[in-house]
Amino acid sequence: MSDLDAYRLKARDWLQSVAPTFGKNALKGMPEREHLAMGRRYQRAKFDAGFAGINWDPEFGGQGLTPLHKMIFEQEEMTFGMPMGYFGVSLGISVPVVMRFAQNREWAKERVLAALKGDEIWCQLFSEPSGGSDLAGVRTKAESDGNGWKLNGQKLWTTYAQHADYGVIIARNDPTVPKHKGLTFFWVDMHALGVTVRPIKLAAGDDHVNEVFFDDVKLTDAQRLSPVGGGFATAMATLMIERYSASDPAGFGPSIGAFVDLAREVEINGRPAIEDGRVRSAIARSHAMRSGLEAITLRAMRMMEAGMEPGPEGSLNKLVSVRSRQKLSELAIDLMGNLGLAWDRQASGKDDWVASWLSAPTGRIAGGADEMLLNTIAEKILGLPQDHRPDKGIPFNQIPA
Amino acid sequence: MSILYDEAQQAIASESRRVLDARSDPSRLLTLLERTGAFDETFWRTAVEQGWMALALPEAYGGLGLGLVELGLVAQAIGAATAGAPFLTTNYGAAQILLASGNAALQARWLPLLASGEAVGTVAFAEGTAPLPPGPECVIAGERLSGRKRGVTAGLRADFAVVWCRDQDRPALALVELDVASRQAIDSFDNSRLYADLIFADAPATPLLEGDAAPAVALDVLVRMAVVTAHEQVGGAEALMFIARDYANTRKAFGQPIGAFQSVKHRIAELYTLIEIARANCIHAASREGQADFIAAAAAARLSATEAYDAAARDAVQIHGGIGVTWESGLHLHMRRARSLAIEQGNMLFWEDLLVDELVKAAA
Repeated sequence: MSDLDAYRLKARDWLQSVAPTFGKNALKGMPEREHLAMGRRYQRAKFDAGFAGINWDPEFGGQGLTPLHKMIFEQEEMTFGMPMGYFGVSLGISVPVVMRFAQNREWAKERVLAALKGDEIWCQLFSEPSGGSDLAGVRTKAESDGNGWKLNGQKLWTTYAQHADYGVIIARNDPTVPKHKGLTFFWVDMHALGVTVRPIKLAAGDDHVNEVFFDDVKLTDAQRLSPVGGGFATAMATLMIERYSASDPAGFGPSIGAFVDLAREVEINGRPAIEDGRVRSAIARSHAMRSGLEAITLRAMRMMEAGMEPGPEGSLNKLVSVRSRQKLSELAIDLMGNLGLAWDRQASGKDDWVASWLSAPTGRIAGGADEMLLNTIAEKILGLPQDHRPDKGIPFNQIPA
Repeated sequence: MSILYDEAQQAIASESRRVLDARSDPSRLLTLLERTGAFDETFWRTAVEQGWMALALPEAYGGLGLGLVELGLVAQAIGAATAGAPFLTTNYGAAQILLASGNAALQARWLPLLASGEAVGTVAFAEGTAPLPPGPECVIAGERLSGRKRGVTAGLRADFAVVWCRDQDRPALALVELDVASRQAIDSFDNSRLYADLIFADAPATPLLEGDAAPAVALDVLVRMAVVTAHEQVGGAEALMFIARDYANTRKAFGQPIGAFQSVKHRIAELYTLIEIARANCIHAASREGQADFIAAAAAARLSATEAYDAAARDAVQIHGGIGVTWESGLHLHMRRARSLAIEQGNMLFWEDLLVDELVKAAA
């Protein structure tokens, strides 16, 4: 047995041992406050057991292992429904940025440790009302006042901002230069004066995203995480820091096995649905696609193990899997007929077809809309031309709004 | 486990691609479309010379002792070139049955000839619209075979066929040497596949397997052939995607390359996703030979590869506009091949059913 196989078993053992406390059955129906408290306890338990910051520097409280170890743990963890969602952005995006770019290294160490233990949560303040996909188009202003900065503007779709203690933010320091060049990256105290967080209720009924307002929020220059005007490159770099994370070929919806079970239970014209050609075709095609995604991931992990850089095909997972989840969820509800009309507000999209269907559109937009992902494949992998961009090279304040 | 290609395997991939690039000639392939019973002799000589026919045969019979992974890589190159003969897959299938049959005399007679390219073999499983009918109508009695197999790949050129049949009520596989009388040419939309109806009337035949072993071997061989074909489909789909990409990068309309329009670039990006999914399934399936999940892995490869090649054929032609539908552009070589390969080794309906049966078995 390889080290990695052993690590997988060790991870699985530990997850099984805490599942009675933190698993989906233990947490079902729990109000959000308590759920969050359980999330913090779970994160602390991970830290104590050596499963937090798996691939991070031990100097920052990490385990010093490889991204592969982290992916293996995440793959195992995914099946248990643990309350880990609150820490996805925090530990997956924001804290790694702080760890890498914060000026005050001692302060950074304290923050990283507190985040790893689940005591503090970080959010990422990128999208705005006027731009989600067009990140470089952000309008939130950071104005220098000699020894620090003053932040004004609005962010949108900020995941778990309502629970966040800190955030990383990109803001415009100079509107007179082309849009990519006038941005600077900071961290911000979410409890600071002038920060207002308002949760947004989404179509599926949950409110894990927020709008965040900044009114004359003061930042010291020590809160700057990029060179002045160098924020866009830093933002891009941050997306690469933790680029290896476990993907789910089911698009974070129910598995094909769950669909097969459903098709064996329900009937069409008095026969089990699993005997119906339309249902069989959908199962076969979905499975073929998902097994391909799984094989891509497996191969990427093999490449990492061999010290190679995985191929670009790893980037198509979200695009393909979430779309497929959306369609399969529609079909599952269809199969249930009138029995499919019920809505369990507490159900998880990973286990429940209605919950999966309701939140699928969010999955196709968050973290890169389908159309942006297709652009990225076309341009970065296949070498096709960029879209026509009328704002290219023009000073930001001269772009027609 | 999905494997990483080692250096030797990567060399097979690049070398087979290089050789075929150098020796392929689309105008030759276009001519073949209008001739029934002809195939690309230059390609066939190349395949034999390169040792591709020997690749997956045991060394004892003049083979190279390699497996599905290597054969798949060659098939991918062949698919990219829309090569004008189907023998890589048919010979492989025929040889696999001979190996499974345990008939030493037939192995000694045919395998070295297959390895050296002196003989061509094929398999004849399908009847009617069924790729592998549970109750075949072809009947073997003693050493005489009767019945009809329609649309057999390489049927016009093969020296022998392994036929799925029954001996009274028992399923069986039998080897029959083909002569002129036993085959009728099909004038097909993809003529270099050499499709023929094989007609047997008390034809001399050698029983290879019967009883429970016969369907197990037939299915296993069909699954293996499907993995080879899936690689060929991926090769074709990928070649088409690059043709479309290159055209979209150079052809201009409305003052810019057409690839700058999202309706075009997203189409090509979608092809990329289909192709990479199919490729990953192929690599995985080739590495699962002999394992419990081999059928499911092969079915996934087969379904995704068929989907990728069909989609690439549709969209690559569409992206070319009027030029794409001309005879001379040759894009229809791929369009035709996408469909002929989709049917050889069993259509989508067959593989969907087989895969779902496997999934239900796993769930039960």
